[in-house]
Order: sequence, then C-alpha cells, then structure tokens
Amino acid sequence: MSWRDAFLRQARSENDLRLRLNDPSVEYSHRLHYLQMVTEKLAKGFQADPSEADPPPTSHHALVRLMQTLKGRPTVRRQLRFDDAIIFKQYIDSLLDLADRVERLAPSAAGTSQPNPEYPWRDPVTGAVSAPVDFDFPFFDQRDAKMIKFEKLIDQLVRIAS
Amino acid sequence: MSRKAIEQQARLLAKENRNAEPEITNVYWFPNETEVRLVEVLPAVPPSGDRVVPFYFRPQPADNLPAPSGIALVRPDEVRNLPLPKGWGQWEDAVELACNGEDDR
Repeated sequence: MSWRDAFLRQARSENDLRLRLNDPSVEYSHRLHYLQMVTEKLAKGFQADPSEADPPPTSHHALVRLMQTLKGRPTVRRQLRFDDAIIFKQYIDSLLDLADRVERLAPSAAGTSQPNPEYPWRDPVTGAVSAPVDFDFPFFDQRDAKMIKFEKLIDQLVRIAS
Repeated sequence: MSRKAIEQQARLLAKENRNAEPEITNVYWFPNETEVRLVEVLPAVPPSGDRVVPFYFRPQPADNLPAPSGIALVRPDEVRNLPLPKGWGQWEDAVELACNGEDDR
C-alpha cells in the first residue's frame, strides 16, 4: 500500500467513526477530535506523491491549502455537483476560516493554553485547567449552518479521494 | 505520454485554476515526461513553511486530464526562495504560463 492510499484509508475509517460518534450520549469533543484527525489524514493523503516511497513531508496549514487547491480541480467540482466554477469557489471560500480553526485544534497548534478536543489545557487568564470533554467548543457549534456545511464537505472529500 | 500532451494539460489546468481563483497571479510549469507539475502564486495562501509542498492528483481522463498532476500554491515572496519538491528541478527550469493557459508571458 502506498503512503497516499494508507492516509486516505485511515481518513475514511476515522470519518466513519466520527459519524458514529454523532450521538447525544457522546461528548462533543470526541467528534471534534475525530473531525480534526480526518482533515489531517485527508490533506496528508493528497500531499503524498503516489509514485514516491517516502512519506509526505510535514507542512503548515495543509487543510486550508488543500481546499484552496481543490477550487481549481474540475473533477472535484463535478463530483461535488457544482456546475459553476465561481459558485464552487465561493462555497469553498466561505469555509476557509473554519478550516483554519479546525487545523488549529491539533495539539501541536493549540499547545497547553488553547482549547482543543484531545488534551487538557490551562486558561492563560484565569489559570483554570479544563478537560476537553467538559468544554462545549462554541466556535464549532454543531448546529451552526457553516459547521454543518463544513462537515458535509469533509465527508464528501473523504469519500471521493483516491 | 508526449511532452506536448503534458503541456496541453498544464495549460488547461492553469486556465481552470485561474478561472476558479482569479487572485492567482502567476503559474509556473515544471516540465516532466509523465506528470503535470505546477506552482501557482496566490497572495492569500497561508505560508508554505520551509519548502514547496504540492498536492497530487490522479489522472482524470473524463475531465480531459489524462496525466497525474502535482499542484502547489505559494505566496509571492516564496517564489524562487523555497526549495522545490524532490525531482522537480530548479526554479530556473520553470516555464511561466499565462493565466489564460494559452500564451507564455
């Protein structure tokens, strides 16, 4: 199996699990954690050269850059059922800020002072330590239309990625 | 696949990408016998880090894209300053394509 296939296979599996976590009895942080991981594997998969034996390099802002790149892919546009390139661009552009916030949920970006869905953190102002399972992540409201749109896009990209 | 076919696809992708993102200012094509390799300049893209990292796409014959492709977005200040992916050659090897995918600048 190539690095590309392996990353995309992992993204698909984690995405399936993410969808199974969509249950009121499960703390939201777990679903958000899986969303962040899915996006990371998805971007890594596209960064892996199918003809290359080495793993893809580490890079910054991979998800945002992937989405910006996908705007110009006619095949992706067609698979996502957009006829108009400009409307597709607007659709992607409307989600870039949220994609950036999702990328910043990674522990490597959040550190120990920013909310993230995987590790506890200390609020730099109050000094209080919080666990992800107790936090409601208001910037990622799962009922918000943009969040719903973003999750749908990621789900679609995971399914069409090859 | 012939160099001409690769070049045709490079120009088509340059045009498609510019249509989808009018803020792309320059497109650099790195000729290769089997793969379309493009670096596109977009001021609004986040910093690349310490190298140019492309996204790779499989051939899509149904969309007139029979060759695999590697597409990288970079910021203007990264052009000629960041190392290219292994095997892509040097910045001096690039052919700058007009953003309409037709005439070189």
